[in-house]
Amino acid sequence: MLNAFELYTPATVEEACRCRAETGGTLLAGGTDVLVAMHGGKAHAVLIDLKGLAPLRGIRETETHWHLGALTPHYAIEADPVWRARCTCLYEGCSQVGSVQIRHRGTLGGNLCNAVPSADSAGPLLALDAVCRIASPAGVRDVPLTEFFLGARRTVLGPDELLQEIVVPKPAPHTGSCYIKYTRRRAMDLALCGVTVLVTLDGGRIAAARVALTTAAPTPIRAPGAEAYLQGRQADRVDLAELGRRTAADASPRTSWRASTEFRLTLLQELAGRAFTTALARAKEDPT
Amino acid sequence: MRSKEIQVTVNGELYLRTVSVSTTLAEFLREDLGMTGTKIGCNEGECGACTVLFNGEPVNSCLVLAVEADGGTVLTVEGLAGDELHPLQQAFLDVGAVQCGFCTPGMLLSAKALLDRNPHPDEAFIRKNIEGNICRCTGYDRIVQAILLAAERMS
Amino acid sequence: MTPHYPIGADIPRKDGKAKVTGRAKYGADWNLSGQLYAAVYHSPIPHGRILRLDVTRARALPGVRCVLTGAECGQRHGQFIADQPILAVDKVRYVGEPVAAVAADTLRIAKEAVALIEAEYEPLPVVDSIEDALAAESLVHEDWSQYTIYGLTHPVPGSNIIDRYQLIRGDVEQGFAQADVIVESDFYCSMLQHVVMETHAALADATDDELVIYSPAQSPFTVRAAIAQCLGYRYDQVRIVCTEIGGGFGCKAEPKLEPIVAVLSRAARRPVKLVYDRHEEFEATVTRAPCKFHLKTGATRDGKLTAQQITVWWDTGAYGTYGPRVNYNAGYASNGPYAILNCHTDGYCLVTNHSLGSAYRGFGVSEVAQAHETQMDELADRLGMDPLEFRLKNVLRDGSVSVTGEVMESVGVAQCLEAAAANLDWDRKPRRWITPDGMLHGKGIACFIKLTGTPSTTSCLLRMNEDGSLIIESASREMGQGVLTVLPQFAASVLGLDLDRIVVAPVDTAMVPYDKTTTSSRSTFHSGNAVLEAAGEILRQLKALVGRKWGVPPEDVQFQEGLFSDAAGHRLHINDVGSSGLLKEEPPVMAVGRFGSKDVFDPPDAHTHASSRPTIMWMMGAQAAEVEVDPRTGHVRVVRVGAAHDVGRAVNPLGCLQQIEGGIVMGMGHALLEEMIYRDGVLRNGNMVDYKVPTSMDAGIDCRITLVEVPHPEGPYGVKGIGEPAVAPTSPAISNAVSAACGHRFRRIPIKPEDILSAKEDAAC
Repeated sequence: MLNAFELYTPATVEEACRCRAETGGTLLAGGTDVLVAMHGGKAHAVLIDLKGLAPLRGIRETETHWHLGALTPHYAIEADPVWRARCTCLYEGCSQVGSVQIRHRGTLGGNLCNAVPSADSAGPLLALDAVCRIASPAGVRDVPLTEFFLGARRTVLGPDELLQEIVVPKPAPHTGSCYIKYTRRRAMDLALCGVTVLVTLDGGRIAAARVALTTAAPTPIRAPGAEAYLQGRQADRVDLAELGRRTAADASPRTSWRASTEFRLTLLQELAGRAFTTALARAKEDPT
Repeated sequence: MRSKEIQVTVNGELYLRTVSVSTTLAEFLREDLGMTGTKIGCNEGECGACTVLFNGEPVNSCLVLAVEADGGTVLTVEGLAGDELHPLQQAFLDVGAVQCGFCTPGMLLSAKALLDRNPHPDEAFIRKNIEGNICRCTGYDRIVQAILLAAERMS
Repeated sequence: MTPHYPIGADIPRKDGKAKVTGRAKYGADWNLSGQLYAAVYHSPIPHGRILRLDVTRARALPGVRCVLTGAECGQRHGQFIADQPILAVDKVRYVGEPVAAVAADTLRIAKEAVALIEAEYEPLPVVDSIEDALAAESLVHEDWSQYTIYGLTHPVPGSNIIDRYQLIRGDVEQGFAQADVIVESDFYCSMLQHVVMETHAALADATDDELVIYSPAQSPFTVRAAIAQCLGYRYDQVRIVCTEIGGGFGCKAEPKLEPIVAVLSRAARRPVKLVYDRHEEFEATVTRAPCKFHLKTGATRDGKLTAQQITVWWDTGAYGTYGPRVNYNAGYASNGPYAILNCHTDGYCLVTNHSLGSAYRGFGVSEVAQAHETQMDELADRLGMDPLEFRLKNVLRDGSVSVTGEVMESVGVAQCLEAAAANLDWDRKPRRWITPDGMLHGKGIACFIKLTGTPSTTSCLLRMNEDGSLIIESASREMGQGVLTVLPQFAASVLGLDLDRIVVAPVDTAMVPYDKTTTSSRSTFHSGNAVLEAAGEILRQLKALVGRKWGVPPEDVQFQEGLFSDAAGHRLHINDVGSSGLLKEEPPVMAVGRFGSKDVFDPPDAHTHASSRPTIMWMMGAQAAEVEVDPRTGHVRVVRVGAAHDVGRAVNPLGCLQQIEGGIVMGMGHALLEEMIYRDGVLRNGNMVDYKVPTSMDAGIDCRITLVEVPHPEGPYGVKGIGEPAVAPTSPAISNAVSAACGHRFRRIPIKPEDILSAKEDAAC
């Protein structure tokens, strides 16, 4: 049961930002993290429901970018075939969050702002080079997602800020991506670790490569060592074992009752190669 | 605000109630409206027993505030049958997809949502779309078969 | 008696329509006007003395009507040993133990009041494992002698051993001397929970001389007895009104929330309702006790078992509950369905500072099957024999003498093994193979034997209504297994009455005749017998009425498949009895059926547990599994399970299949996914994401099931139980298959990906 709280339903972004600054309230988007925690006993005195904020809703498309409103539910990504075709890793991340019920409510913005290392949309968005557009009464500022997370459950959002949208550059032609989520169960589970690989091909050469890791550090991270190894390399000369080693070297997973550090590192090594192989195959088939 | 008067259409009928903002939709349905067909199994979105269709979409009603349903429509298990059982309900009975029955209301609504989306689902689509509804009794196979049967009968 | 329709027919469940329309009312769906809402303050620490418990602030909160602590409520209770207080007294023994309880006008106020309760504890060393319990440096209960013992329990003074069990036959040393091969290993099963979808709930309305409790009780008469005893009521003053059960599997067999709401209601003089949330359900209800085994088994070169020595330790948690019954039932099943001349089993039921280990679908039989069936594979490997062939060489058959000295009859286990194997295509598959994509495949098989609790009794009442429809009053509780459908089938089989004219009444201990318990897979067997007896009497009474109406003696009234007739050409179908006027102003047609197993029970020897008839019904079956293992991620997929269970007679084959299909997926969870993880006496994964019940995506096993029917001489139409057996052989069949696939013997469940990645090849398979 939820503790008694005060609910604010601001109508504008500015009002929401001020409300947050004044009350120290907790932002409520889909509720699939905030309300779960409250059912589990966490008390919040103030919730600020963002669902009335039009600038946070919907998906806009420009020639070069998609602008995903922070309130975009995971299911919107899962259900629209464009994502499966163009940003497969994001489709794979969003379609594996919780359950179909959770994905109808849970939002991309909430998933990022909750800032847990296992966030399923975070790895794919990191690999897609997404940028967070952050609103405050002073206006908006853009922060690359790579700089958005400060630590477990900590982000760069200031006390009067909120995440307005996530800006995703459209992948270059001949790009393929893959997110592999490793779980004990095949559904309704949190990633014990996760690997996203995105590659853009220029002929047989890897023109661009981005690798992101989930539950491999206190926040979702990019794997620069792995990326450096792939970048510029002939795709058929990639040594998967070496890619795995470099990926693991970029990670610092912890031991918990869920899994040991060694186990997670072993998995990362294996999954990096698998994610790369799949991403590469998709890149080869990517017409655009 | 701490409470609010809301208007919600549940199973086709409009209800006006004043609710505390901390009341969930599941609690509202069960306690304010006395519709106990919606079950609470975990109260944190992990079991699916409280699944209802909110504006046509499957949600865990334990993770929706009742005030968020203001102006919306909700379908619960009590609203599935008309004069006759819904084909899904009938198929669940015919195939033997019900045992203890506690997951059944939520399962039926997830099933309805998936058929609304895809009237001709295959087994994989069904399994994926009931992944959030835990059943401890059946092992799921008969549930999947029942949904396939209902789809066939509805087309 | 020759069975006819509808015995053996797939009958859809009679409680189905209420369940698909949301009309079925489960524990939390019941309310009484004027009710208060309860919340419980649970112990935050695993073991400690209560130094101070201050409920003053909680009592002072507006809207709070009653706050109780342990000193203020009743005697200790327990099925076999009365060790468990309703609310903790002096000490707390596990995280989650109820320490104080609040009743208030709203649930929110009750929860706020709980947060205002202040307590101080002197922490005591935590007994956090079987090893800690055996070391006995810290005692969970200091003095067993202060508790009343009702039976079955044999605590060892000055120890954490709450019960000892022994099964002895022959001379194991001699048996091992005759063996050419001996294997010896340890096995471990993790703590599990039932994770029924419906959490515990209870609603009480009490005065000093009357108590009504609404709850999803599996065993209402057990609950009535316990509550009457610990709260000082006579049985006639207590009513347990049963709600629909949203899953039982054993966890709702004992009093849990019922005593708490009873004392609150009695003190507050208002109805009081309590519903546990999922976190409370995990921490503060019951579990399947973790257990450790040491097995040593010998066989001759040609594969005949000569001796088996078993020690099993159960971590039964802080209080006894059904732990001693698990020790006993599992003890009798510990050697599996094999003929072994020399056996020695020692069972130790240990108390620890963990949640309570209790009844769980099989009372320990899945766990002992996990041990003996893994060892059978080890032995088969050493002997170079096929695991199926090795088992068939040793299984009990009609006329075999069991480990307790019973001459066995109606033994279908060999047929089950063969059918399960056939369902897996056992003979056409190697033990282990690798597919071109590098996936490891393996097959495994397992069988089991299980008793039903004996002696036990039941009764029922059949009442024909004025319109000729029939009500069955039986306290066998529906919890998904189909008893509401099967009992009418029995009545219909005798009377020929349409099934839709027969209903089982709701259960209320003030109205429905006695039944011991809905556990132990006993209902179809026991209540089925009672219903058959009563239905026969109903028929006798109807014949008398028909005969009187037709002017012939009752013995001249013919009856076949529902049709009464006589030589003069009168005919009346039983479905028309009501409309015929036959019943009008006649003494009502009603009959009692009773059944008990005390007369066949041979009380076991106190030392060896030898008995010529320890149970009225043995249940047996087998399952074989094929798995696919990804050696680089450790993921296991159960590809197929071939199952075969000896159900004696499948009264409702659909119901039998439902039990087995569900049991297989549950057993897959036990083998690969599920465990309750305690660290320092604290549960780490008490939620439904971290405790991993299989989802629809994890299931999808190709289940091929055979119902073997070797009739039981005392079962109604030959019936045997299937509820618990369905899950008994699943986890060992799967773990044996995983071991085969990996070439590594796994001796602990669940087998996790981490275990697979770190496994070294060591098994002969």
